[in-house]
Amino acid sequence: MSPVGRTFSLMSKGRKKITGKKRSTGKRAARKKTASQKNAVRRTRSRKKTGGGWIGRIWRLALLVAGICLGFLLPWVTYLNHQVTTEFEGRKWDIPSRVYARALELYPGASLTLKDLEIELSVAGYRRKTNAGRPGIYRVAGNTVEIYRRAFRFPDGAEDALRFSVRLQSGKVVSLRDVESATPLDLVRLEPAEIAAIYPLLKEDRTLVKIKDVPPLLLTGLQAVEDRNFKHHPGVDIKGIARAALANLKAGRAVQGGSTLTQQLVKNYFLTDERSVARKVNEAIMALLLEYHYDKSEILEAYLNEVFLGQQGAYAVHGFGRASLYYFDRPLEQLEAQHIALLIGLVRGASYYNPRRHSERALKRRNQVLSAFETTGLLSAAQARTAAASPLDVTEQPRSRGTRYPDFVDLVRRQLAQVYREEDLKTEGLSIFTTLAPTDQEKAQRAVSQGLKSLYDRGLSASLQAAMVLADTDSGEIRALVGDRDASRAGFNRALDARRQIGSVIKPLVYLLALEYEADYNLLTRIEDRPLSLKQPDGSLWTPANYDHVSHGEVTLLEALTRSYNQATVRLGLNIGISHLLRKLEQLGVRVDVQAVPSVFLGAVELTPLEVTQIYQSLAAGGYSVPLRAVIAVQTADGDELVRYPLRMMSLAHREAIGVLNYAMTQVVEQGTAKALPGLLGKQLVIAGKTGTTNDRRDSWFVGYTRQRIAVVWVGEDDNRPARVTGSNAAMRLWAGLFRELSIESLDLRLPDGASWLWVDRDNGKLTGEHCPAAIQLPFVDGSGPAQLSDCLARTRDEEEESFWRKWFGKKN
Amino acid sequence: MERKISVRFFPYLMSGLVLLLSACAGQRTASDANREVESRVRVPASQESEGVQVFPLQNSAVQELLADATGAETSGDYNQAAVLLERALRIQPRNPEILQQMAEIQLQQRDYGQALNFAVRSYDIGPRVGEICNRNWRTISVAREHLGDRKGSVEAEQRARNCMNTKPQSY
Repeated sequence: MSPVGRTFSLMSKGRKKITGKKRSTGKRAARKKTASQKNAVRRTRSRKKTGGGWIGRIWRLALLVAGICLGFLLPWVTYLNHQVTTEFEGRKWDIPSRVYARALELYPGASLTLKDLEIELSVAGYRRKTNAGRPGIYRVAGNTVEIYRRAFRFPDGAEDALRFSVRLQSGKVVSLRDVESATPLDLVRLEPAEIAAIYPLLKEDRTLVKIKDVPPLLLTGLQAVEDRNFKHHPGVDIKGIARAALANLKAGRAVQGGSTLTQQLVKNYFLTDERSVARKVNEAIMALLLEYHYDKSEILEAYLNEVFLGQQGAYAVHGFGRASLYYFDRPLEQLEAQHIALLIGLVRGASYYNPRRHSERALKRRNQVLSAFETTGLLSAAQARTAAASPLDVTEQPRSRGTRYPDFVDLVRRQLAQVYREEDLKTEGLSIFTTLAPTDQEKAQRAVSQGLKSLYDRGLSASLQAAMVLADTDSGEIRALVGDRDASRAGFNRALDARRQIGSVIKPLVYLLALEYEADYNLLTRIEDRPLSLKQPDGSLWTPANYDHVSHGEVTLLEALTRSYNQATVRLGLNIGISHLLRKLEQLGVRVDVQAVPSVFLGAVELTPLEVTQIYQSLAAGGYSVPLRAVIAVQTADGDELVRYPLRMMSLAHREAIGVLNYAMTQVVEQGTAKALPGLLGKQLVIAGKTGTTNDRRDSWFVGYTRQRIAVVWVGEDDNRPARVTGSNAAMRLWAGLFRELSIESLDLRLPDGASWLWVDRDNGKLTGEHCPAAIQLPFVDGSGPAQLSDCLARTRDEEEESFWRKWFGKKN
Repeated sequence: MERKISVRFFPYLMSGLVLLLSACAGQRTASDANREVESRVRVPASQESEGVQVFPLQNSAVQELLADATGAETSGDYNQAAVLLERALRIQPRNPEILQQMAEIQLQQRDYGQALNFAVRSYDIGPRVGEICNRNWRTISVAREHLGDRKGSVEAEQRARNCMNTKPQSY
């Protein structure tokens, strides 16, 4: 197990340890108590012995009964005692872990449209109102959005609630303002959206509260309604039972319960719902024992977190902390008297008084509770009246509890599974901070579903499937991930699990390897695109053909890559060696298990879309490999940092060759197999890309990157049958569908040290001057540039030389 | 008898001594890493580069985060400094100043591999001249030295001095 995992298990052990000592003293005390009871019995006997014969007989009988009782009761009570103490002290609720999206940073100059901001807010559970009067609400006025951000514990520190406004203009944040102090702000984070919760097997949802954080009215009010004598009774309230019994007798059936809070807790905690005298007796004994061992405040805190207060789908809402979020979408400490009254009212019957379903009943019950508050002096008459006159205030719908983006959350689980046991994720109440950008994810999902629909309209199969991965190039943070044409379906996650041949998507690596040999290759080096036959390990011949079934003769490296010529690539690859290519894949972060056969040069390697993204991330970032990340940090339920996945990068060798290759990949889009892309995007930008198609058009791939974003798309059939797809007719269209919606910038083509831009003659590849005909600028790894000068440059140099001499010696002109 | 006692106490004495020494050593390296950044990177870089300042444009959000990171660094909380710098990098992933600061934090955390990578990255996308270039190469030099690459370290120091010559871009 990793060091992190170790600390984790240590911590959970540590939590239980605290109470170990207490338990043993408790048992000792219990033993003492039963001993003194025995003594008491003996004393009574000696006093009564002086009585008559029949009295003596009755006495002996009573003694017998008492003895039997004691003999039976003693072990029973000891057993119950053991149960109560171990259970209660080892109590640890299974708290689901919650998964959060990245926190959106707002600052002047940030790219953001009003539409995207509203998506972010709505996914984070913020509601649009006409007045942003309390946390969780926002208001839109023209191009200004006023947001009342809730308090939130970010992975690097807690921040208070903040009411601020954002002014947007032409897709950018213009300014930020603190509403209360009316001062400008430089930087504000939105509260990250909760995108999923990882639930325990026991379908209970819970947000733990500590008694010191609970509004006082909830504590006193709960006692006023459920158990007025809570402070004083020893666990069982005789008066309360009598009162209830009387009421039940009058009604002829059970209408009232005399249960104390302690008994209710015991019932919830240890016992079944069965209604019997035996259970009642057990309940009473255990309540007494619980009170004997523990403080009132401990019992009350347990009650506050245990009581059942609602049902959300398959999940039971337990405890006031969760119920407050579930009904009001506010943390407990922000509730007002009427809200507290409603929740207390639900204790009697959470489904009967369900305020979303039976609002009238709920209102009536709430106001009963409010009047109990008034009669016990917790509220003044005026306060109670105001509270009773206010609406229920329950949100129309609870914040969605389900997983919003199952494919991304799947990746999160897998990354965490390397460190944690699944069980810990389900029970430890961790906060998991991820890299997901909800707006990007929504756009990616739409790009996939609409893209596939339009492919169908263009005559392709309706059963086509797709996967899409979007990441930030420099940080390797995954912003969106789609693994199914229907993004809401959690099932086969193609982005992670569809292992498919990558076809021509591998080619840039072959050319990269060539460019690393600066003595032998540059982008203008001529290679042969001619038919060839190779003997394979099984003896058969392999004769790769080009996509257009034409051999193009002598072509430059640049042409061969941008037009994706197969024969030229295989010839080039054979000069470089298969083992080099396989090693390159490994360097770029992908482990491949493949036979070293020449068809590897044409992409006979099976990889997942995520792996392809990892490979190209390093190239897109200019030769800095960063492990793709979905998780940034994990916090414990108490807010301590459990683990952080910091940005770590590895600089690759031959970054100058990568710089040159990146330019070549922009030419794929400019004039090669992806030249339809700018039209599809409706934007003219510098973009690097590569299409990929496999045999019989089974797989369609597109890899493309801009200055800050990289995305990989795969389209094909699940059963791997021919799908009539090519890189540019399918995957590239989906890619364009996504990038059309994103704010993007041109790729940065600045070269690292060791490579430079040179002017060369387009026709003959000779070094030339900027002013010369047919001059184009191309990147070269230093030392790989053309040795020969064009006639034009040679002439210029002669002239320069001449003018130099003339300047110094030839003043006569 | 006397000898016996001394033999018996010898291991304790030694272990005590070792503990004492290691405590001293631990302290020294911790502050050393910190001093190293000042004495071997920042101070010489700023001295040598007087007048040659090439500063990229920064937005106010990044400035705020950089200031907070510097605060965290001053109080010795390198972890928090790294977290804040990472936030700044999300806003401006190719800001050479943020990358160089990150490299210096890694140096102080004695993660020399990462210090090296961040400094090289900062140089690659930075101005490659002036004070930041100087800090880039000095960081690389210190990191290489700790990684056992003595020759590379000396070379890097030479490169740091070259940062002051504004070399013509070769096209």
